[in-house]
Amino acid sequence: MLKSLSRAVSVAARLSTKAPAAAPTARAALASPALCAPSSASTRPFTRSIWMLCSSNGATSGSRPKLLSTERGLPAVPCGCGGLHTEGDKAFAEFLSDEIKEEKKIQKSATLPKMSGGWELKLNGTEAKLIRSLSGERVTITFNINNSIPPTLEEEEEPGHGQKAEEKEPEIVSTPNFVVEVLKQGAKNALVFDCHFPEDEIGHGKGQEESDIFAIQEVSFQPEGDEDWKETSYTLNTDSLDWALYDHFMDFLADRGVDNTFANELIELSTALEHKEYIQFLEDLSSYIKCN
Amino acid sequence: MGIVLRNLQNVVPLRRARLRKDVETLRHILGVQKFDLGIICVDNRKIQNLNRIYRKKNAPTDVLSFPFYEDLRPGKMPCALHRDEFNLGDIFLGVEYVMQQCRETSCDFHGTLTVVAAHGICHLLGYRHETEEEWNEVKKKKKNSPYIRTMDLNYSSGNPMLSHLIELKYISSLLS
Repeated sequence: MLKSLSRAVSVAARLSTKAPAAAPTARAALASPALCAPSSASTRPFTRSIWMLCSSNGATSGSRPKLLSTERGLPAVPCGCGGLHTEGDKAFAEFLSDEIKEEKKIQKSATLPKMSGGWELKLNGTEAKLIRSLSGERVTITFNINNSIPPTLEEEEEPGHGQKAEEKEPEIVSTPNFVVEVLKQGAKNALVFDCHFPEDEIGHGKGQEESDIFAIQEVSFQPEGDEDWKETSYTLNTDSLDWALYDHFMDFLADRGVDNTFANELIELSTALEHKEYIQFLEDLSSYIKCN
Repeated sequence: MGIVLRNLQNVVPLRRARLRKDVETLRHILGVQKFDLGIICVDNRKIQNLNRIYRKKNAPTDVLSFPFYEDLRPGKMPCALHRDEFNLGDIFLGVEYVMQQCRETSCDFHGTLTVVAAHGICHLLGYRHETEEEWNEVKKKKKNSPYIRTMDLNYSSGNPMLSHLIELKYISSLLS
């Protein structure tokens, strides 16, 4: 019995990432409070670990105690919370902790920016709705921050500017596709516009972006109140649309408050919302990894 | 073959459909309806940036033209052989600058914008007004277009805004 105990201690000490030391340091490494809260405050972590070694898989005193599971060769740190905790998880949790701190440092504001024009904001997770009523018409803008950050294309570095290009990180901006629904009072159908933010064209000689701030992709009538898109409703695609008609559509939206000012504010709102959700996700992830 | 219209600013509310319609009419008046044209509406910051880069003048302005045919003789129609060559170029309209000018002179903004666009198209067609020789050339070439004569008269007098007002009156009569 004494030989088994001493062997367990030495194995536990080797598995610790810290330098082998007396039993208390190994205990700390194996059952770090940072990884999980002990199920029993009165139970010494080291003792709890030894108990688990001896009683895992229903092993009785007659069978050889199973040490930490080495089926896949992964160093697992059981803490009794029902989850697997590996050294990789620990490193992951530490990384997340730093990441969360950094993200909160660069977060512009804890509150979301306000939209001008009297838009009411409703949030449902990653989906946001902006609603406004104007002379009997209800205008609803819907967008989702998921997959709303376009990939940043690496620009060609000019000779001698390589250093500067590396230091300056591109600002992350959320430019979600958004749907504009215009519903006149008493109407059965809403006029629906599927809009997006075109990505800047590359290689323009004048060095300036020359696409509209936002563009309409599709226009359709959709039944009021239905969440699902009615596939049998005619949908006008603007790719091959008469440009005069397109401009009338843009003027129509502008009259209802969906203009370039709105589009720029929507980008700010979406970017702030996306960042907030990202931080929340990191925090949830950190909690999940640490302990269920 | 048409007009590519872009609005890159949010300072001035713009009626895109009206601007497009007016520029379409201008193309017909000037006989260049077969040629593509780019109209880009920008604010003071952007037009000042372009003015500084391309004209070394660090100030906003009402219009900047970037012709497809750079050495076009004034009044001479571009000779296009291929489909890609039916292009006059791009006009950047400093709508914020124009709006400010209209407020000072109590002019109609969209009407003035059309006149400014006309000015820009003339530049794309080779018309200049920076030297006396260029003015003389313009005077020689304009025979059938009272519009061009009117514009020339007032630019040579050094009063662009007065020119714009007269242009506005003339073009308004054509568009109505």
